[in-house]
Amino acid sequence: MPLDSILSRDSFLLMAELRLFWLVAAFYAFSLILHLFHVFSRGESAGKTANTLLWVGAVIHVGLITLRTFETGRAPFQTLYESLSFFACSAVLTYLFVSRRWKGIYLPGTLVAALAFGACMYALLSRSPAIEPLSPPLQSWWFEWHVVLAFFSYAVFIVSAAVEISYLAVKPLLKSGDGQYGFRADMLEDFHGTALRLVLFGFPLLTFAIFSGAAWANVAWGRYWSWDPKETWSLITWTVFTLYLHSKAIPSMRGTPASVFNILGFICMLMTFLGVNWLAKLLGIPSMHVYAV
Amino acid sequence: MGLESVKKYACSAWNSEGRKELPKWAYRKLSSIRTSIYVLCLMALSFMVGTVFPQGESYEEYEKAGGKFLFFVSAFDLLEFFSSPLFLLLAVVFSLNLAICVLERYKALFVRRTFPKLFKPTKSFLLTHDRGHSHEDVRAALKSMKFRVADKDGDWVVMEKGLPYKWLTWAYHAGIVVCLFGVLLTFLFAFEEMMTLKPGEPQTIAPESTGLVQSIWQDKAAPSDFHLVLDKFTTEYTEAPELVYPDDKKARAAIGLGWQGLSHELKDDSLFAKDWWASLRAVAGGATIAEKKIEINDPLELEGYTIYLLGFEQELKLMVDGNPLLIDAKADSEVMLPNAATISFGTLRSGTATRVDGKEEEFTPYVTVRKTDSTGDPAILRLGDSVIVDNVTVTLAGFTESAILSYRYDPGVGVLWAGGLVVLLAVALRFYGAYYLIAYKVDDSDDIVHLSVHVTTKGLLADKQKLLNRLEARLTENDIKPVPLPSI
Repeated sequence: MPLDSILSRDSFLLMAELRLFWLVAAFYAFSLILHLFHVFSRGESAGKTANTLLWVGAVIHVGLITLRTFETGRAPFQTLYESLSFFACSAVLTYLFVSRRWKGIYLPGTLVAALAFGACMYALLSRSPAIEPLSPPLQSWWFEWHVVLAFFSYAVFIVSAAVEISYLAVKPLLKSGDGQYGFRADMLEDFHGTALRLVLFGFPLLTFAIFSGAAWANVAWGRYWSWDPKETWSLITWTVFTLYLHSKAIPSMRGTPASVFNILGFICMLMTFLGVNWLAKLLGIPSMHVYAV
Repeated sequence: MGLESVKKYACSAWNSEGRKELPKWAYRKLSSIRTSIYVLCLMALSFMVGTVFPQGESYEEYEKAGGKFLFFVSAFDLLEFFSSPLFLLLAVVFSLNLAICVLERYKALFVRRTFPKLFKPTKSFLLTHDRGHSHEDVRAALKSMKFRVADKDGDWVVMEKGLPYKWLTWAYHAGIVVCLFGVLLTFLFAFEEMMTLKPGEPQTIAPESTGLVQSIWQDKAAPSDFHLVLDKFTTEYTEAPELVYPDDKKARAAIGLGWQGLSHELKDDSLFAKDWWASLRAVAGGATIAEKKIEINDPLELEGYTIYLLGFEQELKLMVDGNPLLIDAKADSEVMLPNAATISFGTLRSGTATRVDGKEEEFTPYVTVRKTDSTGDPAILRLGDSVIVDNVTVTLAGFTESAILSYRYDPGVGVLWAGGLVVLLAVALRFYGAYYLIAYKVDDSDDIVHLSVHVTTKGLLADKQKLLNRLEARLTENDIKPVPLPSI
């Protein structure tokens, strides 16, 4: 194939991909708007439609990531543009999978839709969609394992935080005895238990992601731990979720303190993924994870 | 660990009774989960401190860059925080807390388990057989479901099945202790240095430093008894067209909405180094003892050292105005030409390239060059070709590529991986695996035989409802005809 044709084909595919990505972002945006409407109106139909839009967005998003994988010929999370897309998609899919258990409850979807939309817009407006060849440090089988497990744990922690925040918001409202946002008093504790179960599911994944990162750093950089800001924040996230799990073992801390640790863990996770880049730039701290910036 | 109790013990520590009690009190405190929570909070905060201040930067550099809180930075060693006394003290307290908890939980593993006399039933069934017959049938049904008896002496018979979760919980905590031991070995004994290995110039590993412990009796580690030889340095490139993409957010949105197009362009220097290798040979006493083509992610391990390929260094041989005396210049640097402007070189490209159309070819080595003060596109200077800068002719007459290696001695890595493996396995089995504890009682006190069952589960794969359904099905198979009663 002549060079011009190859370049035109690549531009066409990227163009199609970008349009799809904007479409996905639009679905997440409408879903977020309807979720917010559900929060203020407490109407079920708004929540249901918001959830449906999230489903449609997620299905297109999966197609988009599959297209990107074929385009690049490698795992679709090398650049921050790709990582943000993968992050949003995995969070939405995890939420949709977990939320099948709850009939008529849409409140946790607000946080998930907001994060998914935010991540998509950040990728679309601030990052370049250019397809870059895999740099030598990333040519390792640890790359896929480390990143997939880290993102999977992130997705699970997002949903856990969404459940935790919803629980904290709804609990005082239910004291009146009426159903609120589709919740009944007898189902609230089981719903809250989902937050713990999700952390229990995500914690081993994060542990493996940290160990695999250390093993990878050991063969690529010659040392398994460098106190790089990203590494350190992943350890902070791990420590905070360890605190959450331990606080669940102490009766006096099982309630609000544990919930606070869960939400803090979620904030630390966001810092690990995105905040640390901003922090490193703001404070002029060098990071070895430059390719993820 | 309340403040009051700390004060109380701090005061009483001055008398002899207090001095005797203090270690016991400290041990007791260090074995509690509550202490673990406080220590973990402090650890998390200390990690945060280490990400706010640029680690490894000198105090002067920090001040020059407009760094603030100079007094605190200096007093608490915040620029080397992770090796500062404050952090190390915290790490010691954390390690002690963890080690003591592991020891105490180990002892607890062998203490005979006791069960409550009464259980709150999870489910109750009416049974059609008499009490004795029903009791035997229930136990047989549970045994057929792989349950083993844990306690049969009380009113309630306790049976269990699944992974020993207490052992698993202990195992991953113990695994973390092993990991910390590995980290300690690294901290005490590890050292690393860098070397630039040029082709045709063998070098021994001759460290200028050594580990913390070894530094007690030696200034630097002994040189290796082998030489490293760089046989060849190879680079592979791929042609990477550049995406023409605007920086402006509105223009980006316009592309997404289809109002603007998108294109790729191939520039003169559009090669991307996709891989590089150094063919290394270790020679001792005239014989080759090891040989490996190393690359990033694939180091050479030899006699306790791990030798990594960090990067490469390129030296250019330049001929100026036909003068046979060649000038040495480094790629990616500036060179001041005699009677002419300063010129800047880019990275030298040499090796094979995969073109956009998939064809592979070996290309003539080249380097990009530009006048330092110019802003235009750089010129391409190929091997044997010349460029004219301010009437001075510069010819690329040759080049050499050296490998930048780092070598590291670290006896902690193996220990860390062994501990890590235990942690991962135990955490996965404990959190995901299923464990069931079932307590049952067959009662006929009201002349009606009924079975009360209490179920406790551990692990995400444990499904309480599924277990109860299976039990009901088994009892039905045994012709015991259970009739479920409403949950209590």
